Amino acid sequence: MPEEAGSRGLAAADRYYEDYGSRVRELKKQGKQIIGYLCALTPVEIIAAAGLVPFRIKGDVNEPITKADTEMETIVCPLVRSWFDMSLKGKYEFLDGIVIPHACDSISTTYNVWKNTLNLPYSHLINMPHSTDGPSLKFYKALLNTFRTSLSKFTGKEISDQSLNQAISLYNQNRAKVRELYELRKASPPLISGAEVAKLLIASVSMPVEEATLLIDSVIKEVKQRGGVLAAKPARIMVVGAEVDDVTFIDLIEDSGAWVVADDLCPGAREFFDDADVTADPIEGIAERYLRKIKCGRTFREKKGDYDDYLEERFGHIGRFIKDFKVDGVVLYIYKYCDPYGFDVPAMKSYIESVGAPVLYLEDEYSMSTIGRLRTRIQAFLEVLGSK
Amino acid sequence: MVYVAGIDIGSAFSKAVIMAENEIIAYEVMPSGGNYKLTAEQVIEEALTKAGLSLKDIAYTVATGYGAASASFSSETASDISCLARGVYYLFPAARTAIDIGGQFTRVLKLNNRGRATAFLLSEKCAAGSGRFLQVIARVLQIDLEDIGELSLKSKNRVSFNTGCAVFAESEAVSRIAEGAAKEDILAGLHRTLAAKIQTMVARLGIEPDCAVVGGGAKDIGLVKSIEEGLGCRLLLPEEPRIVAALGAALVAWEKVSKGG
Repeated sequence: MPEEAGSRGLAAADRYYEDYGSRVRELKKQGKQIIGYLCALTPVEIIAAAGLVPFRIKGDVNEPITKADTEMETIVCPLVRSWFDMSLKGKYEFLDGIVIPHACDSISTTYNVWKNTLNLPYSHLINMPHSTDGPSLKFYKALLNTFRTSLSKFTGKEISDQSLNQAISLYNQNRAKVRELYELRKASPPLISGAEVAKLLIASVSMPVEEATLLIDSVIKEVKQRGGVLAAKPARIMVVGAEVDDVTFIDLIEDSGAWVVADDLCPGAREFFDDADVTADPIEGIAERYLRKIKCGRTFREKKGDYDDYLEERFGHIGRFIKDFKVDGVVLYIYKYCDPYGFDVPAMKSYIESVGAPVLYLEDEYSMSTIGRLRTRIQAFLEVLGSK
Repeated sequence: MVYVAGIDIGSAFSKAVIMAENEIIAYEVMPSGGNYKLTAEQVIEEALTKAGLSLKDIAYTVATGYGAASASFSSETASDISCLARGVYYLFPAARTAIDIGGQFTRVLKLNNRGRATAFLLSEKCAAGSGRFLQVIARVLQIDLEDIGELSLKSKNRVSFNTGCAVFAESEAVSRIAEGAAKEDILAGLHRTLAAKIQTMVARLGIEPDCAVVGGGAKDIGLVKSIEEGLGCRLLLPEEPRIVAALGAALVAWEKVSKGG
């Protein structure tokens, strides 16, 4: 990260968020190769270990989806279509390649569209399985080894165990910093707003991991130094959903008289709370993290026992967040045609209500045009919380 | 005497209620049209004329609904849910569930014994779950919206519809007309389709008696009967179901004035 004044702290996070991709654009000029990827389920450790810079593709709720609609039907979720639309409109012209994990069907089944339309020097699909059992893990490890080989063919350099272990440890340091950041949200009122956290974390996946860690660390220091500057608000909200890579929705809640103090989102707690263990075969630790540790609706977790045991296995972490972050109410923010999260809604809602938190379920289209409709529902929800 | 006003600019109709403290003294309902700002001014003006008052006599005005922000003369805005809850509680203190069938959305609310919403659900952005559905069908059958309810009650042989989508239902209705089905049978079938959507929402939230039905859709007696049939209970129905949110907005205004002053 450049060392000049103002390259750290909240102001810098804001700038990297607003001018998304500005850091990798600089690195590209310095001769670095940039690999775009979709979704938190891409094993970025392997890309970094290959000496490449992983860059998360981001959408834009303010940009109407136009070009993407010529290649993707509207049954593809609006977030994926916005990502693709931004890519087609030249926003990510610096990319040398694209990596797509089989996160959900909207992502994996559009792989060929991404590959053939963007026509980048490198494209790869990691067809990861959907179950967490032994054979699935074994299969997934084989896929990760194929990915490792494919990347080393692209760079012409072998990816050593040592460089993988180094990347794992850099990413784990980064995740530990995010967890430290979340501690600042536990105070009442929180020391850092939900919008500030969202912008920082979104910015953090647009730059090399070491730089992201420094940026997060600088924000933690700045926030601790400024102390309790945020006003008291009547409600503490947790947002649960798939990927929210735009701050508009978080702003909307915070402008309506609440603080967003916790989340189960990407980029957010779901993405950063679990480390990859350093294992003898580094691929083992990576596979465990992405297939078994990240609790995304796209992964099916079979659990022996009754339905309550299943709910605890699948959503227990949400319950723990509600308790640890003293959450008053949970907003389920689900995009239209998001199959993994859409399918989960009834179970998720009943689980969250069973631990005592009221739930507002909102279905959205990843577009600014729906904001007015969402605002009245959020206001009504906050009033309901206030009248309890 | 202190006067307050509530105004509800909905997607289909705009309503204004004038209260002398907590008694309704006048109200007005008119189509929202294409200029919410103008409609907001007109609807409050009409209501004020009926009450023999002018805007300067009103101590506090609260606006709600889709176009609440267009009522620039209002003192503040409040959410549709909290206004509906207050309006329903004022009319039916024993109601614990309320269904509001609006032009744009159907809303289902749970109320506590103080008339506050404790949970709510809204239909998604889809005409099939809202009053808009009835407008579409009235146009296809070339009958007045107001006549739908009574006509549908004459049905002897209800047509069953396969779709829950307003656009497909429109074309399905057209096919049934071509097959010679009676208008009342088509209407009764469509009422069942809409009622089934609403019932699902009520079931998701959990019904607790008494249950009230309000909003423009509640003007359609055929629809109300169909929901009653589905839920297996009688619904409380206000004399003028369209003004309940505006009434609630006026009650918010009265709370402000009486507590603040």
